[in-house]
Amino acid sequence: MALYNFKRIQPVPAANDFLDIVLSRTQRKTPTVIHKSYKIGRIRQFYMRKVKFTQDTFEEKLKAMLEEFPKLDDIHPFYADLMNVLYDKDHYKLALGQINTARHLIDQVAKEYVRLLKFGDSLYRCKQLKKAALGRMATIMKRQKDSLAYLEQVRQHLSRLPSIDPNTRTLLVCGYPNVGKSSFMNKVTRADVDVQPYAFTTKSLFVGHMDYKYLRWQVIDTPGILDHPLEQMNTIEMQSVTALAHLRACILFFMDLSEHCGYSVEDQINDFYQIKLYHNIKPLFTNKPTFIVINKIDIVRPENLPVEQQDMLKEITEKDGAQIIQLSCHTDEGVMDARNIVKLKGQKINDVINKIHLAEPQARDNVARPPIIPEEVKGRSLFNINDPNRRKLERDLEVENGGPGVYSVDLNKLYIVKDPEWKYDSIPEIIDGKNIADFIDPDIQEKLDLLEREEERLENEGVYDSVEEIVDSEDEALRNLATEIREKKKSIIQAHRSKKMMKNRPILPRTVKTKSIEEMEEQLGKLGLDTSAVRARSLTRKRKRDDDGDSDHMDIDRSPSDLKSRRLGLSVTRDRSVAGLTIGQQKQTAKYRKFAQRRPNQHAKAGEADRSIQVKRPKHLFSKKSSIGKRDWR
Amino acid sequence: MAVRAQFENSNEVGVFSRLTNKYCLVAIGGSENFYSVFEGELGDVIPVIHTSIAGTRIIGRLTVGNSKGLLVPSSTTDQELQHLRNSLPDSIKIQRIEERLSALGNVIACNDYVALVHPDVDRETQEIIKDVLDVEVFTQTIAGNVLVGSYCALSNQGALVHPRTAIQDQDELSSLLQVPLVAGTINRGSDVIGAGLVVNDWCAFAGLDSTATELSVVESIFKLHEAQPTAIVKEMRDSLVDTYI
Repeated sequence: MALYNFKRIQPVPAANDFLDIVLSRTQRKTPTVIHKSYKIGRIRQFYMRKVKFTQDTFEEKLKAMLEEFPKLDDIHPFYADLMNVLYDKDHYKLALGQINTARHLIDQVAKEYVRLLKFGDSLYRCKQLKKAALGRMATIMKRQKDSLAYLEQVRQHLSRLPSIDPNTRTLLVCGYPNVGKSSFMNKVTRADVDVQPYAFTTKSLFVGHMDYKYLRWQVIDTPGILDHPLEQMNTIEMQSVTALAHLRACILFFMDLSEHCGYSVEDQINDFYQIKLYHNIKPLFTNKPTFIVINKIDIVRPENLPVEQQDMLKEITEKDGAQIIQLSCHTDEGVMDARNIVKLKGQKINDVINKIHLAEPQARDNVARPPIIPEEVKGRSLFNINDPNRRKLERDLEVENGGPGVYSVDLNKLYIVKDPEWKYDSIPEIIDGKNIADFIDPDIQEKLDLLEREEERLENEGVYDSVEEIVDSEDEALRNLATEIREKKKSIIQAHRSKKMMKNRPILPRTVKTKSIEEMEEQLGKLGLDTSAVRARSLTRKRKRDDDGDSDHMDIDRSPSDLKSRRLGLSVTRDRSVAGLTIGQQKQTAKYRKFAQRRPNQHAKAGEADRSIQVKRPKHLFSKKSSIGKRDWR
Repeated sequence: MAVRAQFENSNEVGVFSRLTNKYCLVAIGGSENFYSVFEGELGDVIPVIHTSIAGTRIIGRLTVGNSKGLLVPSSTTDQELQHLRNSLPDSIKIQRIEERLSALGNVIACNDYVALVHPDVDRETQEIIKDVLDVEVFTQTIAGNVLVGSYCALSNQGALVHPRTAIQDQDELSSLLQVPLVAGTINRGSDVIGAGLVVNDWCAFAGLDSTATELSVVESIFKLHEAQPTAIVKEMRDSLVDTYI
């Protein structure tokens, strides 16, 4: 329900009010005192602030408006369509679009005038610029008069729309005008819909709620629909059609066979209007449970109709699987039955099928297992705490004796002992250093003997042997596995700890550590890898680089110096400060550099750009007077 | 008759009480409100006894019993045992058992004829259960949970089990227990049925959070108040579907 609550949209003020609100806010929230003798920067800033603030306020208000109004593409198609029918989608979008444009224009005006204000050279000019800026903004807003007025109307209408939840279980009541839809609605829900004996009493959708079998149902009453093409339908009828088209609901198609509705069941050319309407809007009923409700049966019952009309009704039920319900809102006949028949079919039933399954036992023997219910509780109702003649409970005693925390319950009260006087006898726990609980049974020895004998018998019969053996071998395997796991865990922990301890020691990098081929072989061998390649590699003598006696490459002519410079070129990084200079030029530049550095050096600067000022009066040198030889550090 | 109750702001009534057809054990709390809920319903029919087990209040989880007997864990003190012996009628056997899984209420679920036990319970313990409670014993799990006592509530007339129990398992359990059985929740969607609900053949106590729908399922499946289990799949079906979806 919260999803489609259009009641929270803020009221949209008319254009003039809008201006008043914004301008008075600017007046209140920005400084008002300025003097022409102030610095020009301050004057400019003062007026710029006014312009910017006004623009901000406009922006804030318009943005809020644009966000609050529902966007037709984002809301449920039912509401989108309903709004299209009621307010005309194009008009609505245009109005919002214009507001958005106004917002952008105001933004631009503000930017432009702030830029101009930067060049304002006197208080007077700045003030005129500000005035012009606010004036232009106001003009833009005034042009939105119609859009704002329209949006305010839409808002008011939206906030009065019934809060229909498109996703809940719903009954949708539809049919010809004046057939008793609203009367039915009033009967089954607590909605108070206006009922009058003329057509189109209901001009918009109404919603009511009813409870049935712990569930809440939403009942929607729609205006009547006449039987004519969709294009000719008016706004009132279109609301019904919208609801029919978009709401996943159970449809109750109302019919009045009595012709009291003013729309003849049968006119001159023998046409049955109401059935025709049914056939016309039938496409909207697909995949929805549909019921034909014959109303006003206190006047005419379907059995009393001419045969051809009965046939038409029969055809509907047989072809479309619609069920017929008869009722009369006048005499209340059948109303409740109608309410109870109507049900929606569940969709996700498979998810919960196990929770609505009643498992019935299959008899596995002939043993009777009757419940044990004492006679006195049969047919007794619940204990009533408000009954004046009820039994006194422990709780009452508690209240009488000081309430919880003070009252201590008498545990011995209910003891079942031969003589009621024994109830409060104190029994020692230990006598002669022995726990009396161990000796409480007079024939404990006998019982023990009996048990031992039984145990012996069972052992002789070999009841325990076989089972134990199996368990043993299984147990042993399990135990072995557990030990292995435990050891492995231990070693992992050890490894981890030793690794951690290494942190505080000098660590030789792996590359420095020498490992012999043997070690490598051993390691790899442990891991189960083939080590022959390792040895093979170290045994082969590789061809040297220069040794190209049997080279397959093509011969290329190269001078030795060329080769050398190429090698160097790849490896040497060069000083860029001398790049492109001959040796002579390099010497020259070095000389210049030295010369240029002389001045900064004199002033203890790094270079021309060094502007740092060192501490001029170091504190430690001037803070205190002390005679010579008092301090050891100076 | 299904009654809502609460033990000191906890909805887990099954933790603090143990209900059978012949007696009822209730934990000793700070006030007598919880005790009096039981006392009001049962006080004139069967003994309703204050007790602690091993000094704790979680007696429903530590003990298991039916109309023939009561099993308490080895941690029960001699004094508690004596108190129970004095309070219960002589026809009810009390046995303290040495079992590693000492929360007997969690690992054993029983009515007067059948008991379901945790698969790891000792064979000796199973023998004792059989002798003392006079029941058939089956090792079982409920919806893959070994704590059979926690995830089901049993009486001689019906059973309510963990909501995720598969239909096959439900049928199997139902045939073992020889009572009609349904999967469901208690305490507004809690799946620990044993903790949220205590039940005998004519009375049930559920946590205060339980919804009306949950209570009507309880009344139907345990045949309280002349309700019939078939109501679950007939009249209540739609509202159940709606609550679960």
